[in-house]
Amino acid sequence: MTHLIVIGAGLTGLFAAAHAAERGATVTLVALGRGGLALSHGCIDVLAVEPPLEAMSRLDKSHPYVKAGQKALRSAVEQFLGWMEQEGLPYQGHLEQNLRLPTALGASHSTCLAPAAQAQGDLEGKEPVTLAGLAGFRDFSTSLAASGLERIGVRVANSVELPLPHQASVRDRYSIDLARRFEDKAWREEVARSWKTRLTGARRIGIPACLGLTSHPEVWRDMHERLGALIFEIPTLPPSVPGLRLENALRNRALKAGVRLIEGSRALGQVDGRSGGRRAGGVVIHAAGGPRALQADAVLLATGGFLHGGLVARQDGRAQESVFDLPVRVSGDRTALTAGSPIEAQPYATLGLLVDSRMRPVGARGKAVFENVFAAGGLLAGSDRSSEGSRQGIDLASAWRAVESSLT
Amino acid sequence: MTQAGPSADLCLKCNICTAACPVAAVTDRFPGPKAVGPQLQRFRSPRHIAPEGSVEWCSGCGTCSSVCPHGVAVAEINIQAKARLRALDPPSLRDQMIARPELLGRLARPMAPIANLLTHSKPSRWLLERTLHISRHAALPRFARRTLRQRNPSRIASSPPRVADRKRPLLAYFHGCSANYYEPELGETAIAVLDALGFEVVLPPQRCCGLPLQSNGLFEPARAYAQSNIRSLRPFAEADLPIVGTSTSCTLALKHDYRAILGLEGDEVDLVAESTFDIFEFLSFRHPSFHNEMDFAPVSARALYHAPCQLRSHGIGAPALEALRRIPALHVVESSAACCGIAGTYGVKQEKYDVARAVGAPLFAQAAAEAVDFIITDSETCRWWISEHTRLPAFHPIEILARSMGLA
Repeated sequence: MTHLIVIGAGLTGLFAAAHAAERGATVTLVALGRGGLALSHGCIDVLAVEPPLEAMSRLDKSHPYVKAGQKALRSAVEQFLGWMEQEGLPYQGHLEQNLRLPTALGASHSTCLAPAAQAQGDLEGKEPVTLAGLAGFRDFSTSLAASGLERIGVRVANSVELPLPHQASVRDRYSIDLARRFEDKAWREEVARSWKTRLTGARRIGIPACLGLTSHPEVWRDMHERLGALIFEIPTLPPSVPGLRLENALRNRALKAGVRLIEGSRALGQVDGRSGGRRAGGVVIHAAGGPRALQADAVLLATGGFLHGGLVARQDGRAQESVFDLPVRVSGDRTALTAGSPIEAQPYATLGLLVDSRMRPVGARGKAVFENVFAAGGLLAGSDRSSEGSRQGIDLASAWRAVESSLT
Repeated sequence: MTQAGPSADLCLKCNICTAACPVAAVTDRFPGPKAVGPQLQRFRSPRHIAPEGSVEWCSGCGTCSSVCPHGVAVAEINIQAKARLRALDPPSLRDQMIARPELLGRLARPMAPIANLLTHSKPSRWLLERTLHISRHAALPRFARRTLRQRNPSRIASSPPRVADRKRPLLAYFHGCSANYYEPELGETAIAVLDALGFEVVLPPQRCCGLPLQSNGLFEPARAYAQSNIRSLRPFAEADLPIVGTSTSCTLALKHDYRAILGLEGDEVDLVAESTFDIFEFLSFRHPSFHNEMDFAPVSARALYHAPCQLRSHGIGAPALEALRRIPALHVVESSAACCGIAGTYGVKQEKYDVARAVGAPLFAQAAAEAVDFIITDSETCRWWISEHTRLPAFHPIEILARSMGLA
């Protein structure tokens, strides 16, 4: 049985670990902390171009989608949808066309798969939208969202502020606090009673994403029934409730499949001395007491990009991968790596690891650095995931391909 | 080792710790680890104590530090801040008492039956609550009539046995207060397992690890214990003896807290830290073949395994779980709770009891829903607390392993 070490517990690492374990591998997932899902909208963005699959054929051959192949993307998406259905967190959408979902800032977000409660907010939908803010919850402004949506041609039927039962608290309300309250049936009953009169005539109501954390589908259904109107969620600032639901579902999936989870320790790559430097023997984790060695047949890096610590930018202008010190090619002047405006496409975002067709990081001559080290997700070179709207699709497709390669 | 305070600069305010904090999830009185930790840290200086008491609600479980993806020592910052508050608000008699299990053990053991009557009868518990604010509902341990050291005088070693005397690999057992004063049978079970696996177990000189003092903000007496332990364990570590413990909080103190929280420095502190192992960590990392060497007899039961929060802070995963999974006929359900609530002495306090119980509620519900026969968890305070709330027996994993090895 292959022993695979996956490093990183974001979408890529959790998906890869669960997939490998379900394929029969012995999997150890090592993570310094929780991954980026708590910061995400919980959707799976594949490519924000219509239609996404057709646009994919025009991508450069260095793009992670081209490396992973469309088959990997299709298989990964199909598996993801199946898992979420089984984990009680159903997603909607498909690869042929994107959903257009409203954001908390009143923009339109093109995404491929969305949790059912967000998908109901599709801006192509026929029912007019009512936006509802929640009293005392400062992360969502109905007027901001409504004016933004109107600017892009979406008709907002009404904006309302809905009351919440008073709660003495020493902190601002986070969406996660509300989500936990909504788990309580008595609280929902009280809330729905006070909301009903204010929502007369509303057909489709958008509220900040806070309808439950662990029993979200049940909470959502219950509120829908109590209000007699369709209610959809709009994700807000971190900690993001839809992102946490997805993280919980994938963690549960991985743990059920037997993944051994080591959290809170940094991993450093270890090279097998007997292989002439061609193979990784495993990783050394820096645990509370000191270094501990974990042997493995293969290592999958899912450590993310610069923000998440998988790539490290150095002051001399060079960059490197953080576990095995794998090379990251930075060409040209450092000042050319950033665009003038922070919301433009960023040249630095395309930096990362170059990989071969089996998702193994390669050196200057295009040859795999290690026979048994694979990479997936945000640390791959070749795409500006934020500007092309491809973040989670790349995570899933490359994780799938990397796991398949590591097990053969 | 990174200093806790300055690590606040690494904080991105992502709130992943707040989302994971088991205390913030159940009470509005705690602003959350980020708010009282890295965020408030900018108002703290060596000369100024930020007079913000809400950090007192932190239970010290350490979840925040182990989930932080950027290496912020959130829990360590908060425990240090709590200790500095003691300069403004001196510790209560209750905190002074419950923080000294060794002193209590030494005083109470000679009159164990009377002491046990006092700690377990309703009228005296009522009195303890009224006078000292020790919750009358919180489980307290029973004092043993004879300590582990009194029962095993031949194993006591004031210095490491000389090399020439060694027939079998030597190992120093750090039993801590609980296995000495309260549960000597557990200590003997651990010794029996290690003995059966071919090790010669000695009992080095040792004092209370100091963790209860530290978590109650009494750093000076905690440091005195810490320094005494470093002095007495150093020769064993220098003689290359692994220091193995069954109490996850004691071993965490030796490995991590002395350095990261109490601020002890020096080669001998590092050496003792790096020589210290949780017993299952020792077996799985240093003696991984033990699974194959032994015949494990079936243990027909359903059990809930809970990895204590303080084990999670070791950054080694849950090594006991892997061993338990190899025992035939034992069906192990993994707890999904971050913390059982007791967090050492936190739940014993009258004003904290309700919060602590709410933290543990999902775990207690899981035990009931899974219809398990017993609980397995590595930490003593967790065992007493979970057992009290689930009305189920709770064992250390080494006791179950011993049963399967025919030793108990």
